[in-house]
Amino acid sequence: MRHFLVMTLFAALASIVFGAMTKDTPHERLLYGAKVFAEFMVIGLALGWILYFIPWS
Amino acid sequence: MVKTERMHADVAEPAPGSAWAIGAAAWFVPGLGHLLQKRWWRGLLMGGAVWFSFFIGLAMGGHMFDLHAPEGSSQILQVPPMIANLGTGALYIISWLLGYGFADDPVQAARATYEYGNTFLLIAGLMNYLTMLDAFDIAAGRKP
Repeated sequence: MRHFLVMTLFAALASIVFGAMTKDTPHERLLYGAKVFAEFMVIGLALGWILYFIPWS
Repeated sequence: MVKTERMHADVAEPAPGSAWAIGAAAWFVPGLGHLLQKRWWRGLLMGGAVWFSFFIGLAMGGHMFDLHAPEGSSQILQVPPMIANLGTGALYIISWLLGYGFADDPVQAARATYEYGNTFLLIAGLMNYLTMLDAFDIAAGRKP
C-alpha cells in the first residue's frame, strides 16, 4: 500500500509541474495534467504487474 | 522578398537581461521566478511541488549527491545525480553547507523508503529546472 501511495504522490507532483508549464488556457492545463497523472498511474501499475510475473531467481 | 521575411522571422530575438535574472532567481529559490512576475498560481503550484518533493524526499531518508564518492564507486558516477540535485538551488546549497541530507550510511540505506527519498530529491531538482525554464520563457516574452 505504501508503494502505491508513494507512486501516486510522485505522479501528482510531476503532473502538476507538467500541467502548469504546458498549454495556454487553465482548462487545457488541467486536462493535460490529469492526462499525465493518469498515464503515470496506468504505466506504473502495468510495469508493476509485468515485473511481478518475471521469475527473478 | 518572402524568403527574406521568413529569414527575419526565424531569427530569435535575444532574451533581455531581466529574463536571465528571473531565470537565476527561479533556480535559486523554487517558484520565485513566477512570483516575481506576478504569476501567483503558477508559482505556488510549480514551486510548491518542488519544495514539497524536496522535503518529502528528506523525510523519507533520501540523500543528495555531491562529488564525494562512496568507497568502491567512481566520482564520475556522482556527477549526473548531483546535477539533478543541484536543480533545487538554495535548498541544495544550504543543505550542503549544513552537511544535512548527504549521509549515505548503511543505517539510513536500510530504511524502506530510502530509495523513494532519493528519487524524490532527484525529481525535485529536475522539476525546478523545468520551472526555471518556464519562468525564463515568460520573462523573455516567449510564453503567455
